[in-house]
Amino acid sequence: MSGDAALVVRGLCKSFGCKAVSGLDLTLAPGEFYALLGPNGAGKTTTLRMIAGLLRPDSGSISVFGRDVLTDPLSAKAIMAWLPDEPLLYDRLSPMEYLEFVAGLWRVAPTLARSRAEELLETLGLWPHRHERCEGFSRGMKQKTVLAGALIHDPQFLLLDEPFTGLDAASARLVKDMLQARAAAGAAVILTTHILDVAERLATRIGILSGGELLAEGDLPSLQRHAGFTSGSLEDIFLHLTIA
Amino acid sequence: MFKAPGFLWLFAHELRLLWRGSILVRTHKSVIAPLLIVGLLFQGVALLLAGKIVEHPLPLAQMLLAANLNLAFLFILMLSRGVISAVDTLFTRADVDLFLASPLPPGRVLLVRMIGVALSVAAPWALLGGVLANALAFYGQYWALAAYPMLLAEGLLVSAMAFALMVALLAWMPPGAAHRAGHALALFMGVFIFALGQAPRFIAPARLRAFWQALTPDPRNPATLLARALLGQPAPLLASLAVVLSLFLLAWAALSGRFAKGALTAAAHRPGGNASRQTGAFRATPFAALAAKNLRLLARFPGVVSQTFYRSLTLVPVAMILLGRVHFGGGVAVTVPLLVFLTGQLALFFISVMVGADDAPELAASAPVPLEMRDRAALFAAAYAALLLMALPLLGVLWRAAALIPVLLACMAGVGASNLLLGQRLPIPLVRARFGKAQTGTVLGLVLGVGVSSAWALASWLLATPSLAAFLQAG
Repeated sequence: MSGDAALVVRGLCKSFGCKAVSGLDLTLAPGEFYALLGPNGAGKTTTLRMIAGLLRPDSGSISVFGRDVLTDPLSAKAIMAWLPDEPLLYDRLSPMEYLEFVAGLWRVAPTLARSRAEELLETLGLWPHRHERCEGFSRGMKQKTVLAGALIHDPQFLLLDEPFTGLDAASARLVKDMLQARAAAGAAVILTTHILDVAERLATRIGILSGGELLAEGDLPSLQRHAGFTSGSLEDIFLHLTIA
Repeated sequence: MFKAPGFLWLFAHELRLLWRGSILVRTHKSVIAPLLIVGLLFQGVALLLAGKIVEHPLPLAQMLLAANLNLAFLFILMLSRGVISAVDTLFTRADVDLFLASPLPPGRVLLVRMIGVALSVAAPWALLGGVLANALAFYGQYWALAAYPMLLAEGLLVSAMAFALMVALLAWMPPGAAHRAGHALALFMGVFIFALGQAPRFIAPARLRAFWQALTPDPRNPATLLARALLGQPAPLLASLAVVLSLFLLAWAALSGRFAKGALTAAAHRPGGNASRQTGAFRATPFAALAAKNLRLLARFPGVVSQTFYRSLTLVPVAMILLGRVHFGGGVAVTVPLLVFLTGQLALFFISVMVGADDAPELAASAPVPLEMRDRAALFAAAYAALLLMALPLLGVLWRAAALIPVLLACMAGVGASNLLLGQRLPIPLVRARFGKAQTGTVLGLVLGVGVSSAWALASWLLATPSLAAFLQAG
C-alpha cells in the first residue's frame, strides 16, 4: 500500500523531556478518513504537527503522497492543509482578506481563488460577514473561517485537530459533509476528536493513541476484536483500552 | 455563606499582573544589568545636579514656577497614558469579563483597576524623578522626597479623570466611536505637550522672559498649594494629598455603578470592516500575499497613528529649517541627522509591529513558503511604510540642498537596514499582552534601537557637515 499511499509514517518519535510520541507507524490510503483518538496528552496534536512539518521528529520518517516531509517540506506542504485546535486567524483581517492571504501562500491562481473563496464563504454561511473583522467573531465563526482557509487550495491531504470545536449542530453537519465529499474525491483526511460518536460515524479507520503509542487501529469490528469485545460502542472500546 | 474576596486580595492580584506586565519583567533578562548601569549613571548625574542646586538655591517664587510647570507637564503626559489604559481596561476584554462574571462587586474591581492604572502611569516618572529626589535627600534636602507621594497623587487624579472620561464617552456615544475618541484624546494631549515644549524655541527671548515673569506665582497665592506640596512643605503636602484622595474616592463612588454598564457596552463593540477598501485582490505569489497581509495588519495596529505621530514630531523642526523659518549653525545639514534618526526609529517601530501583530505565525509555517520569504516580506512591508513617510522630507532636502542627498540616502538605508534586522530579532514592547497571551517585545531592542539610530545620525552628521571635511583635510 505504501507505494501509492497518502501518508506513510514510520518509527516516529518525539520527546519533550518525556516521550510524547514513541515509534509510531501509520499508513493512510487516498480517500481514507482516519480518526486519531486518545486521552489528553496522548500525543495526537504532536503527531499531527510533525506530519504538517511544524515540528521536527527526533527520529522516523514521514511521507505524504510520496513527498518526504522532512527532506522536502515545501513540496509536501503544498498539498496539505493543517487545521489546528486553536484557530490560526488574524483578528484584524476580514474572512475575505484572510482567504486572499491563504490563497496567496498556496499560489492559487487569483481568478480561481476568488471563485473558491466566494463559494466557501457562501457554503459556510460567512458571506454576510465577509468584510467584518474576525476579532468580533464567535468561536464557531472563527472555526468556519479557518476551515475555509484550509480548503481554498483544494488540498489532497487534510490534517484536522478538533475541527468541530465551537460549531453548532447545523455547521458541524455541513463540515462533516464537506469533509466526506473531499474524501470521496480522493483526498485523505486525518482528524483528532474527543467526540467519539463523530469518529465512529465518519471514519473508515480509527487509531487509538495513548502515552505516545498506537494501542489499536482499524475499523470498529477490528477494534472490538482487539479489545476482546463481541459488540460494544467505540466509547466502550476506547475506555477499555486507554484506562486499562 | 459565601464571602467575596476582599480588596487586598484583589489588589495583590493586580500588583502581580502589573509587575509581570512591567517593562522590566517582560523584557530580555540580559537587559537588567545594562539598565542598572544606566540607572546608576543617571543617579550619578543627578548627584552632580543636586550638588549645584544646593550650592545655588533659587528664590522660592522661581522654585514654585518650576514645580508648577513640572506638575502640569507630567499631568498631561500621565493623562494621555491614563486614557489609553482606561480604554484598554474597558475594550480589550482582558480579565474584566472574568471579574464581572464573578461574585466580586464591580465597584471593588473598578477601585483596584483605578489604583492599578494610577500606579502604572506614575511609576515611570517616580523612577525618573526619583533619582533627583534621592540625590537632593543625599545632601540633606529631605523635602525633595515629597516628589514620591505627589507623583502618586497625580497618578490617582489622572486615573480618576481617565476612567470618568471613558465611562462618560461610553454613555454618550456608540462603543466604536468612544474607542476612537479615547485614542484621539490621548494623541491630542501627547502632541499638545510636545508642541508646548517646543514653543520656547520659536519665541523671541525678550517675550519669553516676560512670559515667565508673568507666570511666576506669588508664594502666598493659594493656587500654589500643589507646587508647595511638591517642594515638601508639610501642611500643603498633607492638604494636597487629602484633596486628591477625596477627589479620587468621589470619582470612584460616582463611577462604581456605571463601570459594569460601560464595560458591557464596550463588550458589544464589534470592529467593522470597510467593504469599499476590501477589493478582493487575490495575489498570485506568496510574497505579494505576505506583504499585503503585513501592510494591512500594520495599518490596523491599535495606536499606529498616535505612535507614528509621536515619532514623527522630529519632522516639525526639520520642516521649520527647510522652510527657512529657523536657522541653526549647520544650516540645512542639521536636518540630515534628524531624518536619519527618525528613519531608524520608524523602521524599528514598524518591524516590531509586524513581529508583535503576527497572531498566527504557524499558518505561514504550515504553507509551502520558505522561512526566509516570511522574513523578507516583513522587512519589505516595514521598509515600505518607513520610506512612504520619509519621502516628503527627502524631497524637501532635495529642494533645499541636493548635495546632501547621497549622504542622507546612504545613512537612511544604513539605519533602516540595521534597525529592521535588530527589530526582527528584538522587537520593542508596544502594547500590553492580551489576556492569556504572552507579551512580545523587549526593552533591550528599544535601548539598542535608539543607540543604533543615534550612531547612524552621528555618522551622517559628521559626513554632512562641511567643516568636518575641512577639519579632516587640515589634519
